Parts: sequence; C-alpha cells; structure tokens
Amino acid sequence: MSFRLKLMLPLLAVFTASVGYPLLYAFYLSLTNYKITARYNTRLVGLKQYIATLQDPNYWSALQVTGTFVLLAVFIEFWLGLFIALALQKQTRIRNFTRSFLLTPMFVTPIAIGLMFRFLLNQQLGVIPTFMAKFGLSYDFFGPGKALYSIVLIDVWQWTPFMVLLLLAGLEGLSRSPFEAAKVDGASAFFTFRKITLPLLVPVISVAVLIRALDAMKVFEYVFAITRGGPAIQTMTIQYYTYQTGIQFYRLGLASAMSYLLLIIVMVIVVILFRRIESTRKNP
Amino acid sequence: MRKLNKVAKLAAISAAVAVVLAGCSSSSEETATDTGAAAGAASGTVRVLMEGVPDTDIVSGLLADFNAEYPDVKVEIETASYDQMRDKYVASFTAAEPTYDLAILDNPWVGDFAKAGFVQPLDDLIAASDGYDYADFTAPLRAIGESDGKVYGVPFYNYALGLIYRSDLVTAEPASLDELAATAKSLTTADRAGIAMQPQKGYKAFEEWGNYLFAAGGSLYTDGKVKLTTPEAKKALETYIAMYKSSAPKDSLNWGFDDALRSVSSDKSVMMVSYNWMLPTLNNPDGDSGALAGKFKLGTMPGGKQVLGSWHWAIPTNSNASDAAWAFVSWISSKAGEAKRVTAGGAPTRTSVFSDAAATAKDPAYFATIAKILSNAEPLCQGANCDEMINAVGTELNAAFAGEKSVDDALAAAEEQANKIQAE
Repeated sequence: MSFRLKLMLPLLAVFTASVGYPLLYAFYLSLTNYKITARYNTRLVGLKQYIATLQDPNYWSALQVTGTFVLLAVFIEFWLGLFIALALQKQTRIRNFTRSFLLTPMFVTPIAIGLMFRFLLNQQLGVIPTFMAKFGLSYDFFGPGKALYSIVLIDVWQWTPFMVLLLLAGLEGLSRSPFEAAKVDGASAFFTFRKITLPLLVPVISVAVLIRALDAMKVFEYVFAITRGGPAIQTMTIQYYTYQTGIQFYRLGLASAMSYLLLIIVMVIVVILFRRIESTRKNP
Repeated sequence: MRKLNKVAKLAAISAAVAVVLAGCSSSSEETATDTGAAAGAASGTVRVLMEGVPDTDIVSGLLADFNAEYPDVKVEIETASYDQMRDKYVASFTAAEPTYDLAILDNPWVGDFAKAGFVQPLDDLIAASDGYDYADFTAPLRAIGESDGKVYGVPFYNYALGLIYRSDLVTAEPASLDELAATAKSLTTADRAGIAMQPQKGYKAFEEWGNYLFAAGGSLYTDGKVKLTTPEAKKALETYIAMYKSSAPKDSLNWGFDDALRSVSSDKSVMMVSYNWMLPTLNNPDGDSGALAGKFKLGTMPGGKQVLGSWHWAIPTNSNASDAAWAFVSWISSKAGEAKRVTAGGAPTRTSVFSDAAATAKDPAYFATIAKILSNAEPLCQGANCDEMINAVGTELNAAFAGEKSVDDALAAAEEQANKIQAE
C-alpha cells in the first residue's frame, strides 16, 4: 500500500463508519417494510417503498414546496447579501463591530428562531403585527397562501449573514487592478459592478449559492416550530414530511426510500450545477 | 511474542473480571421480589423521562414521601418537552441497554407500544398488589391503558378537555353547540375575541374539533370504524369554521395550546376549549393572568361529552428495574398516593379521590366538574397507528378551516385516511 493511501486510511475509516454505514443501512431499510413498532415483521419488499413514494402526491407536493422555498430564500439572500457585502466593503469605521453584529442571527439555533418568530408574528400578541397596526396595516403571516413566504423571510433573516460572510470574503480577495483600470477609463459604478465585480466573483457566488441551497433544502425547524406543515400542506417541506413518516409514524422503510429519492434528485441538480459552473469558468 | 501473549491473557482476564463485575453491579441494581409492590422490599434506581409540566413537579415533590416507605428505591426524573419525549422513549425501548426503567405514555402511544412489545403487561403486578384497587380508576381512563384485554398502563393524570371561560363575562354555560357559537359571537369585541381557538394542523385541530363533534351529538367510531361523513360531523365542522371566522382571534390559523392560553390569560379572549387542569394555572394569583386570576371557571363541553387525553405509567419490557419501577408506580397511583398528588394540585384519575374532602378542599366545584368530565369522555383514537391517524384527520380538518377544502370533501378524506391508516 502506498504511503499516500496509508495517510488516507484514518479518514477513510471515519468516513466509512460515519457516512458509509448509515447510507448503506438506510438503503437496506428502503428495501424493507421496516416499521419501528413492528420490527419483528420486517421483510424485504424490493422497490415497493420507492414505488409508493413516487405515487404519493404528498411527496411531490412536499418537493414542490421545498423547491419554491429554496429558490425564493436563496435568491433573496444572495442579492441582499451581495448588497450588504458591497456596503460593508466600503465601510471604514467600526467595521469589526458591524460585521460581528450582522452575523449574530447565524449563531442562533433555528428552532429558537422558529419559536421566536412564532410569537413575534402572532397577530394578537406579537410585536410586529402590533407595530403594523399602528399604521393601519394587517397581514396574516401564517394564513393560507402566505405562510410559506413568511417562512422564507425568517430564513432570509437568519441566513443572509452567511451570504454576506462569503461574498465579503470574495470581494476583499479580488485584485484591485481591474477596478483601478475601469476607474481610469471612466466606467460608471454600475458598469464596473456588472462587467468586473460580478464576473470575477462568480466562483465565490457559485459556492455560496450551492452551499446555501443545499442547506436550505434541509429546512425543518421553522416548519416544526411554527406551522407543522400547515395550513393544510402548504408548508409541508420534504424534510418535515420525511420526519413525520419515519419518526412520528414509525415507517422507517418508507422514510428511507423518500430520503434516497431526494438524494438522487439533489445529486442530479448538484452535478448539473457543477457542470454549468465549470463551463462558465472556462468560457466566461 | 511471549510477552504479547501475557499481555493478551491479562487483558482477557481483566475483561472477564469486568464482565463479571458488571453483571454483579447490574444485579445489585435491583434486588426486588417478583411480586412487585411488597412495601419497602424493592430496591434499585428507576430512571424515568417526564414532560416538563406541573404534574411532573408534583411527582418530584412527593419523592421524599415515597422514599420514607421505600428507602432503597431511587427515582431519577429527567424532564423534556413533549416533542422530544416519544422519540427518546422509542430510542430507549429499542436499545440493548435502556435509558429509562419507567415510562409515562401519552394516550395515542399506548396501543402501538403495547403491540410493539415495548412495554410489559401489568396485570400480574396489579393482582399481586394488595389494596391497589385498579377498578377505582375512572372507566374511560382504564380503557386507554388497556390493549387486547391486558393492562399496559395505569393512569398517571388526565388531560380531558373542557370549556374554560371568564365567569365575569359569561353568565351561563352554553348548553348546546349553537349556544356556544352565539355566546362566543356576542362576546367578541374589537379588543377581545369570544373564544381562542386552536386550529393548528394535526393533533391540535383534531383534538379541539373532536369536542365540537361530541357537542353536536356525533361520535368518532361506529362499529369499530372511524365515521366522519355524518350530519353531526358536518354541523360540527361548519360551526367550527363559522366560529373561527366570527369569534376567534384574527389570523390564528396556526394557533396551538400556548397561543390560546396566552390570549385568554392576557384578556384578549374570553373562552377556550382546553385541558381541565389549566384552570388552577389561570386562577393562580402569581401566574400570567395577573388581575384576572380567580375569574376563570371550568365547565363541561355543551352536551356534556368531551375529548379525553391522559398519561399512563408503563414499565418498559427492557427495564433494568421493573420491580422497583412498579413499587414506585403502585405507590404514586395508589389511593393514598393519588390523594397526596391531587392535594398537591395534580389532575385526578381515581373515582375515590372525588369524595376525599381533603384532596378536593381547595375548590370542590372544580373537582365536581372534573368528575363530570371524566364520566363522559372519549379519546381521539382507539387501536393502532393513532399518531398517524390523528395527524391525517387533523390535516384534513385544517384544510377545511383554511378554506382549502370543502367541509364534505375534508370529512370524506379524513374518514377514508383514518380507516386506511388504522387498518394497516
């Protein structure tokens, strides 16, 4: 065995134990009818759980809800994050304080954020609706057709700082010479941003958006703390649905099949995104 | 090599000694008799997970009294929020080495856990405990703890629902569902809702609406099957939706128990359908109600029937201290233990406690109402897959509350899903 392989062995061992085994076991479970409360009746059922998942309208609905959530949340977080990062880059005074202050929401556990917003947005007792009422405004944050957007805004509140962090690091790492040349040539601020800043920032943007999108797909805590998937199934995200199926209703076999299908879908999206990023990098 | 062999031998001997010692220590954990409740004979450490609620604090407060009779049984109570409890219990029940030796089970869990073999039948222990008087528990509560003719849980405390209202604003308890709707509407003002409702998707929606169904004269099961496509269920759902629109706090579709409680205690709502033991909390002068403390009353639901919830003591099959656990359970849930618990503010489960003047002295009218409530109450689910069934029905009901589905469609879908889930 080569020395390089030997050096990799500890990592491979940890990876196999912590990722490989759960993945393989979950795959095995997905081929069975495993139910926690009927463990001794477990048998192999082939692809039955996968077929049941594909035929489950609630699964597709949950995927759609999750997709909408991810697209909206990451879109807003990216543009808002970029705007704040550009502003912070220009800041000269109390930089460290501003930056650490802006990052605060990121350090709070999402379940606490969910509970906090549940009461902040409570129509009768919440601070925000009370404040809005002073201006004659009223909005049913968790009503039909609105709850998902409220969850998106909560995610934006918590995770825009993450975008700021990455984009600011990217901005500060850019070479100054193209910007100085543009200034000498009399380019406008918007032109400089569109033609120099954004293209140079593409690698950082790609990574930031990808990480955030994958993280946003795991949205669970806000739903659990605030809406439980309601009204009806309007905020039933894929993670919450899988949790309900596997943990709340004990159907681990079915939940494993749901997770594997999600894994396949996510992997396809990630591969497509990476290819696009690669081609953009080669042909800017 | 020889040195290595010596080391290996030494390690093997050490391991064997360790195993033997572990076995000894394990057996010394519990030296109780098989008959269970032999007073003072049991010993060991009983680990139990309980919800962080007043009834748990009351049990903690009685441990010193228990240890006066059972000095060799140590009860260790771990508290958690409701949402964490079931998962922690399932993890313990399925583990080779359990985390808990005693469990408290919410009523929807009993059937599934009994069928799964997670908890052990208690019939023999009950029979061997002189003077325990199992039949003294109210009949609906006994039924919840039983499965396939065996007792898997003995009642810990009830959480049957009732109508909690402001006695300074509600002059007469509503006698019918229509009267409840009319009262709620008449009490609704710009600053105060007539009734704080809890239409949150899932358990809460079904739990609250179930009371409306009973008030409309309906029932959940007919011939062992869930039957919701009935005129009574339709009336209950239509009335619920109308009341939500006319008399509930604005935009409260995701409200659960906490939200409704805060609304009522802060003078933003007049009534709510809630757990009977919330009354002492609301009337506590040092509690959240402030100046409103003392103004709340408890009544039965219009029509007299309500949804019943309860927690039961159960002993896990893999418990390391079954006898010590039963020693504690049989003490705390005995007639004398129940009297102590209820005197300290716990929710009653035994019939005899209602005629105990000392236990009910604080508020005899309140206990008389609870006795009425417990005499005519029914759980949301009977049989298998209760959590899933309750959630499915609660989701359909919430869809109707939100206007996503018509009343007829929601009830038909709820009935179909409930029966399908329970048949699996």
